[in-house]
Formats: sequence, structure tokens, C-alpha cells
Amino acid sequence: MIYADYNATTPLDPEVRAAMNEALDVTFGNPSSIHSAGQAARRLVDRARVQVAGLIGAAADEIVFTSGGTESDNLAVLGVAEAATGHGIVTSAVEHKAVLDPCKYLQAKGHAVTFLPVDRDGRVDIAALEAAVKTDVALVSLMLANNDTGAIQPVAEAARAAQAAGVLVHTDAVQAAGKLPIDVKELGVSLLSFSSHKIHGPKGAGALFVRRGVRLTPLVHGGRQERTLRPGTENVPAIVGFGKACELARARLDADARRVAELRDHFEKQILARVPGTRVNGGNQRLPNTTNIAFPRLDGEAITINLDMLGMAVSTGAACSSADKTPSHVLVAMGQSAAEARSSVRFSFGRDTTDEEVDRASNLVVQAVKILREALP
Amino acid sequence: MSERIAIAMSGGVDSSVAAAVLKQAGHSLIGVTLKLQECHDAHGSKSCCGVDGITRARDVAGSLGFPHYVLDCVKDFEELVLLPAWQEYASGRTPSPCLHCNERVKFGLLLDWAARLGIPRVATGHYARLEKDEAGRPMLLRGCDTGKDQSYFLAGLSLDQLGRAVFPVGHLRKPEVRELAKNQGLPTAETPESQDACLVAPGESYSEMLRKHFAAPARPGAIVDEAGKLVGQHDGFHVFTIGQRKGLPAGAPARRWVKAISPESGQVTVTSDASELVDTEFVAKQVNWLAGALPAQPLACSVQVRYRHASEPATICAQADSSLRVTLKKPVKAITPGQAAVFYDGDRTLGRGWIG
Repeated sequence: MIYADYNATTPLDPEVRAAMNEALDVTFGNPSSIHSAGQAARRLVDRARVQVAGLIGAAADEIVFTSGGTESDNLAVLGVAEAATGHGIVTSAVEHKAVLDPCKYLQAKGHAVTFLPVDRDGRVDIAALEAAVKTDVALVSLMLANNDTGAIQPVAEAARAAQAAGVLVHTDAVQAAGKLPIDVKELGVSLLSFSSHKIHGPKGAGALFVRRGVRLTPLVHGGRQERTLRPGTENVPAIVGFGKACELARARLDADARRVAELRDHFEKQILARVPGTRVNGGNQRLPNTTNIAFPRLDGEAITINLDMLGMAVSTGAACSSADKTPSHVLVAMGQSAAEARSSVRFSFGRDTTDEEVDRASNLVVQAVKILREALP
Repeated sequence: MSERIAIAMSGGVDSSVAAAVLKQAGHSLIGVTLKLQECHDAHGSKSCCGVDGITRARDVAGSLGFPHYVLDCVKDFEELVLLPAWQEYASGRTPSPCLHCNERVKFGLLLDWAARLGIPRVATGHYARLEKDEAGRPMLLRGCDTGKDQSYFLAGLSLDQLGRAVFPVGHLRKPEVRELAKNQGLPTAETPESQDACLVAPGESYSEMLRKHFAAPARPGAIVDEAGKLVGQHDGFHVFTIGQRKGLPAGAPARRWVKAISPESGQVTVTSDASELVDTEFVAKQVNWLAGALPAQPLACSVQVRYRHASEPATICAQADSSLRVTLKKPVKAITPGQAAVFYDGDRTLGRGWIG
């Protein structure tokens, strides 16, 4: 199978597996225990925290381990809304559901929530953001890069604008981490979410960067772990794997990004040349590994299923098959019609993608398109 | 020749074995489970939302090595099957939702969805067979297992729908299907028999489930005998069907059956004379005829007036309005408006009409 869905998840890196095995087999202690077995586990978590902080230029004590990106996003949005004096939330229409849904939850609870529109390339307008943060806003949450299109948001500019208004900024960097160099100081954000399994770590681990001095109310209560922001016994093996994955991602980021961008560009060129009418969604400032391609008159889900039958894994923005599919909210927010949005497929490559696979992938796409064009009424 | 086929998988043993048979024959398969009900609808109700079926179907597809997808048909199923079924009950008739589901959902929606994927054929685990006549047109035959035959439920499919259908277990008997499932180690080998009526909780009537689903008012009324004498009251005529004994007030004479339902007055008429329930003639409307032109001359064939009912010899003749007048050789009990009448020539399905 050709795996071209790295934005959904990534395979475990062998070095990550080796690090986890040690934590699974030998160091089984509870990091909160006072004895040596507990101390050994605590040291693993401490070391992982340094590795994780290192990927985003943070200090180790600014990292809160969570179960993953969704929990980190929830902790950021709900945690600030509860702790802050400000009332409103400003976010964008193209966020991941892990940000959109807690925002909608707050909206239902009476918070004023602004969903900033985006342009055809999926980017928010900083002037609109500046206007939105003027009145009684507690938090701006703006993703660093979009999962569907790979489009990169002007988060640093947004943070400057928000800071001028005294508003905290959170960024969902789940897709960007490991693909773009990230420095929380340069970005100027106070909160940043990222996840282990998107960067060749295990599922079930993630982190929220919480800048020193930022006040949050936890989602769960019941212990002193993670400075009480995320109590409960730590998932030590997953945290160790996450730490190793961050270390590897940091070391390999430049080389990986350059190589995967070449593969992606080659694939994109092939498809645009060989399948007339196709176009790329998300403009020019995108993650190096992602290409979201519209196949006019065809159905993205039908392409996805045909590619699955042919042995290639890709994705559409829509969550599940249905007779009247809801199109990707991201593409619709970018001004596309439902039919346009439904015609799109996301291809995302990664560390293990080879030149040969990308050539074969474009052949399979051409083959799937041929099958579907013949099936058109 | 290897073909691209979508197999509808309920998570039961029949569709699982159907999939295994096709896979073994070398076809390129996708499994599809139709989601017919929202999960949250199942909270607080005893009926299952179908998650079990989806889980088992996914397990079977995975173990046989082909992809499986869930097609969300909740809204369409409600509109195309459940609502028409309720409307029949509400007008004093007894619907045949399984036929509608096959005609409009499995070989409607699913067939169209597969076609858009470039997958021309849809298979199911129905006990029915397909052959071709001399002209190459599809012929729908009864399944080899006479006790399981489901051609009745498929008799409303058009020739085009039948031409794209595949019934891989139609030539098998149920014990052979179970045996195959066991030999292949399919996860569904021991799955209990599924109900004929989807979505119904044990102990709940289909009509009552539909009434609650659509939050429709029940229509209470009087129960009278043939002479018009009041014998009791009922809480809603939708729970009655022609020939029914259950749910009627006890009394002398002890045996009573529903003879007629009047949707206008809400009155249910009962009889204690079993001979009052039989008929030798009825009209079948909106006929789907699979054997050439409708018979203009009286045609001897057999007719089945409900599922799990022996077919009876009859003579049929097309009327000016394209309905069929059906004359039975001997009287048949409880010919019920809303049910399908399906016509056979031996094992061959000739067509279906709705009992008027």
C-alpha cells in the first residue's frame, strides 16, 4: 500500500519504538511514587519534557502533557475561557473541530465567539482580527497550518495584533509541528498544541505549551500531576515515545521538509499535467508535505475509495460516507461551493515516502480518475 | 472474469458468506454497511442502532481482505421506507417495508452510489437466484432453500436493477451457509438470525415503533362485530392487521379476527366466522412485471400474498389501468391491503403488485 495520508497519522519511528520498549518493560513505576522505581519513571518523563519543549523552543516547565491534540486544544480554549477575565473568543472558520467545537460550546454558554472568515487561499485577514480583538476578548485561537489544505496562517502577525490589545493567543500546531520550524518566542503565542502521532510518535500523547504566567483552569481535577493542569498518572511509555519523536523531528526537520517538499511538488506537477482541470487548494504558503487537489466534476470520496481499492491511502475533508455528504468546512469557508469542495482530495506525504511511490501514486490517481470519468452519466 | 462489486453487509452470516463467495471467485470487492438509524436515537430505546452490525461487517471484510465503508442512509431510509410504511398503517393498511427498502435503498441509493464509484454491481446475501432468459434478460428465481427464499422481497426490482444485482448465496441452503462461514472462520459464523423487520426492539410492534418515531397521534376507536354491535375499544387502529387475533377483547364467541379497518372512523370490524376472512379475488396495483408485456389474456400462475406463505394457484389478467385482476383457485385467508402480491411461474418470479 502507498500511504499518502500522513496528516491523519504517521507510522511509529523504530527509534521511538525502542525508547518506548524500555519504558514499557523496565521502567514501570509511577512517576509520583517516592521510591526508586517511581524516580526512574519520573526521570523518563522529565527527559521527555525537555525533548518535547525543544521542538518548539519552549522551556521544559512550560510543557503540559495531555492525551493528544484534541485535549490540548480543549484545555487551551476552555481553560482560558474559564480562568480569564475577558469574555469573548476569536478564532477562524477553518480551525480543526478540536478548536471549533469547544468554541461553539462556549458560544452556547453565552460567550461571544467570532469565527473569522478566510480568503480563497484559506488565510485570515489580520485587519479583521485586529478589529475583532478590540472588545472584551479573552483568547485568540488560530491554527498554525491547516490539516486539510496545509495552508499556513499568519500566526506571528496575529499574535502581535492580539498582544497589542492585551489578548492571549493560542495556536493549534498539530499539523505544523515537525513540518515547520517552530519557536514559541518568535511566534509570540502563549499557548500551543501539538501531538505525538503526527510526528511518528505513539497515539495517546500530546502537549500544550503554556507560557509561564498564563492562567488556565484544568478540565479534569484529581491530583498534582502536570502542575494540576492535567492530573492523573502519566502515560509514561507514550510520553517517552513522544519525547523521542520530538527529538528526531527536530534533528531531521530541515532535511525531511526539503525532501518531502520535492516529492510533493513532483506529485502535484504530475497530477496537474496528467489530469486536465485539476487545481490545488490552499495557495502558495503551505506545509511542505500537503497537497489538496480539486478534481472538477468528480467526487473526492469516490476517488478516495477507488484509490483504496487500488492500494493507496488518501483522505477527503469529509468525515464519513453518506448519501448527502457534508463537504469539508475548510474548503467551504474558503469560498468554494459544496460541489467544488466535495471534488477535493488531500494527499499528504511523509518521512517514509519514496520517489518510486510518488510516481506510482500519480499513476494510480490517473487510473482512478479514468474509472470515475467512465462511470459519469 | 473479475468484476468490481459492492457487497451490502448487514453483519449477518448470509451477507458475510456472500462476500466470502465473491472474494474466493476473485472479484474486486468493497463492503458497504448501510447505517439506517442514528446512534443517539438508540439511547433509551431497546432497539440497536446498527453499530453491532457495522462492527461485525467491518470485521468480516477485514478478515477477508477487502475494504469496508459505512454509508449513512439515515435520512433517506426515513424518507423512502419508514415514512411510507407509517402512512400505510395510518390509513388502515399493512405495509411491506422490506420491499421498499430493496427497491429504493439497497438497489436504489446503494446501487447509484456504487455506480458513481465506477462499481457497476451490488451484491446482497438474499436467498434468491438470477438467471438469464433467451433474450439475455435477467430472471429472478426463488432461492434453493425453500424455507429461506427471499425472492418475494426482491420482486419489485426492475430488470435494470436485477441486471446489476448479484445474489451469491441464492443457490445455497442455510445450513450450507453456516457451514461455509464456520469453515472460513468468519467472525459471523455464529451470529443469530436477524429479524425481518429492521429497527424493532423485542416485544415492540413495528407499527408502534413507527408511530413513536414520527410522534404521530394514535387513533383510538370502537371495535364492532359484523352486525355493528360494539364489542370494545382500541387505543389506535395502527396496531391491527387483517386476520389478526391478538389484542382483541376476549368474549363469546372466543375466537375473533380483524376483518376490516376503517381509517375514516377509526373503527375496527371483527368477525368470529373464519370463512368471512377468505377471498378468491383481489386487484394488484402498481405492477412491476418482469416477464415481458403484462398478460392481456388470462394467465395461469401462482401468487404469494405475504412473505412466509405458500403460493396459491391463480389466474391473472391485466386491466385497462395496468393493474392485475387476480382470481384464486381456492379461497385464501386475510388478503391484506398494502402487502405485496408476488407472482410466480414455478421458481421464476413474474412480478409484483400491491394489494389494493
